[in-house]
Amino acid sequence: MKLLRVKLLLLFVVLLVPSLSLAARIEISAPGEQTIPLALTRLLPMGVGGSQPAIAREFLQVLEGDLELSGLFDLVDPASFMGDADKLGLRRTEIDFYQWRMLGAEALIKGGYRRDGDRLTIELRLYDVITQRLLSGRRYAGKAKAVRKIAHTFADQILKSLTGEKGPFATKIAYISKRSGNKELYMMDVDGHQPVRLTNHRSIVLNPDFSPNRKELIFTSYRNDNPDLFRKEVYTGRESRVSLKPGLNIGGRYSPDGREIALTLSKDKNSEIYLIGTDGTIHRRLTNHYGIDVDPSWSPRGDKIAFVSDRRGNPNVFIVDVRSRDVTRLTYEGKYNATPAWSPKGDRIAFSRLDEGVFNIFTIRPDGTDERQVTFGDGSKEHPRWSPDGRFLVYSLDRRGSGKSIWVMRADGTGARQISPLGENDSHPAWSDRW
Amino acid sequence: MLLVSLLLHLLVPILYYSPLFPKKAIKKPPVYRVNLVNKIVKNPQAGRPEATVAKKKPKVKKKPKVKPKPIPVKPKAKPKVKPKPKPKPKPKPKVVKPKVKPKSKPVVKPEPTKPKVSKAQENTLAKRLKELREKKQRESAEQARKEKLAALKAAAVAESEKVDSPISDAPVGMVDGKGDEAGVRATAFVQEFIQQQWSFSKYQAVGTPEAEVKLFYNAEGTLLHYRFVKKSGHEIFDESLARAIAKSKQLSQPLPEAMEFDIFFNLKDMLDKP
Repeated sequence: MKLLRVKLLLLFVVLLVPSLSLAARIEISAPGEQTIPLALTRLLPMGVGGSQPAIAREFLQVLEGDLELSGLFDLVDPASFMGDADKLGLRRTEIDFYQWRMLGAEALIKGGYRRDGDRLTIELRLYDVITQRLLSGRRYAGKAKAVRKIAHTFADQILKSLTGEKGPFATKIAYISKRSGNKELYMMDVDGHQPVRLTNHRSIVLNPDFSPNRKELIFTSYRNDNPDLFRKEVYTGRESRVSLKPGLNIGGRYSPDGREIALTLSKDKNSEIYLIGTDGTIHRRLTNHYGIDVDPSWSPRGDKIAFVSDRRGNPNVFIVDVRSRDVTRLTYEGKYNATPAWSPKGDRIAFSRLDEGVFNIFTIRPDGTDERQVTFGDGSKEHPRWSPDGRFLVYSLDRRGSGKSIWVMRADGTGARQISPLGENDSHPAWSDRW
Repeated sequence: MLLVSLLLHLLVPILYYSPLFPKKAIKKPPVYRVNLVNKIVKNPQAGRPEATVAKKKPKVKKKPKVKPKPIPVKPKAKPKVKPKPKPKPKPKPKVVKPKVKPKSKPVVKPEPTKPKVSKAQENTLAKRLKELREKKQRESAEQARKEKLAALKAAAVAESEKVDSPISDAPVGMVDGKGDEAGVRATAFVQEFIQQQWSFSKYQAVGTPEAEVKLFYNAEGTLLHYRFVKKSGHEIFDESLARAIAKSKQLSQPLPEAMEFDIFFNLKDMLDKP
């Protein structure tokens, strides 16, 4: 009996083993496609109001530019589009996803517009072609001239849908330009369009910085013969002097909560980093060294500030703890390290370094590891600043003979593109927060 | 003495054939001839050279001397042959009749029915023998060809093994691959296929996501079902995997058998690059 049981057990095991075939283990450690194939169709007119090809064209051009800069997408060639691209249907059931799948698209943007006098309405949809799921749907209404802003805003929304974080395209870039003959403060869109002059000091304006929570800027101006710190409200145009201490009042940077400003003052004959209130009163002195301390940049948590000092010989980047005032050295290489900018996520610090007569942009972790050069080639690249999402860097490029211009690139140094024209000596860019 | 010996020698066969030693009649089993080469099919001659010959049968009619018309091997020709020949010996049509429907038994020979061997049958036998000899020759030639092919394959395998690949089991078609014509391993193929369907940008990455998915394919390469054993916790990453799996519903080639795959997705090779 016992033997029979053993035999039965053995038989069971023998029968069971083939059915429990082991799963083959596979590791896939990188995607085959490192971009998302996206089909971007042109806007089609909706209802009455007729066709306005200029609106559709401008919208497409702006959106395409933003999406290309993001580096996320591989845009499907519009020449290969089939019949569905010419159908207005925006609902899931009205779209022939099979056509888009045949073209290899994984994401699809369709939209329509209606113009009623000066009023413009644009409806947009972002679909996942594979799962046929609506990822984002928006209706924007505004004046006809708002078409660029609508395109930038929808580009931000696309990034939110596909990465979980909004894009920075509907923000602004402030910069200093000499196009009027003097160095004045300007502001433009992220793609360089719609530049607006903000100051008329007929002097030297420098180092702009956006307030994190209000539509205003601080900057240094020599209008009163001394480099004083000014504040300017963008929409009202109201302007006031925040800090007018004797000597330097330069490099002002708002704290992440917007309550304080870190800047360099030289009222005591030596340039040091101070914290002041938005009313200009000095809160604290952060550094105390006979060396020159300039260019403060807040960590996103507001507990540390990176700055440049020559206290160890050549100018290098240091970090000071706001509470304890302990200073640590960040960079050791290069003859001249300048203009640090702490990323909004806090994971890296960008700065420019002089090497062989040319400045290039580098990034480094706040603990001093993983230093990477992100720009190469001719011309000095200076004054790097991060986009509010930390995906991009804006900087000025000085090419001998053609002057300075503003450029934007991805944080890894790819996709660099010029956004301000040559010959106007544009420099000192600063990227606004969500606008 | 000599005489005694002679008598004894004679006695042995006499005794053997005497009724004292009865002999058992050995029954011989009936002999069947089976064609092992050609399967029994609906139309066994279709596409073969013999079939073409059969169609040309009318030519044979021109030769008046051809007597042995009813050759049972060529069933197709018979209906056509029927009306022409005049000097038909009577018994022959009887043999033909059961063959009118040639679908079922083109191979079996009802030879033993005829006790007498006619001249026509002798000719048929001779022809058959000739055919058999030719077939044997063909077979031996085919065997030689196969042996040669096997030798060539073995040489190719030996050659491919000489390739020093940094990746063991690298599949065919890769720069550093060393596969042979036997094809790619199923796991390597599935890995490559699903990886190609997976789109994910480094600009979408947050942290170091990892996910584990089980996929069940049948032998035709059709995805039966899948399930996430472990999600990464990064929604965008997990959605990209779901998309890749949706695109891998049908593999571009079948698998050797129904298979289950345990796939670990991560971004190690993408995020390590600066």
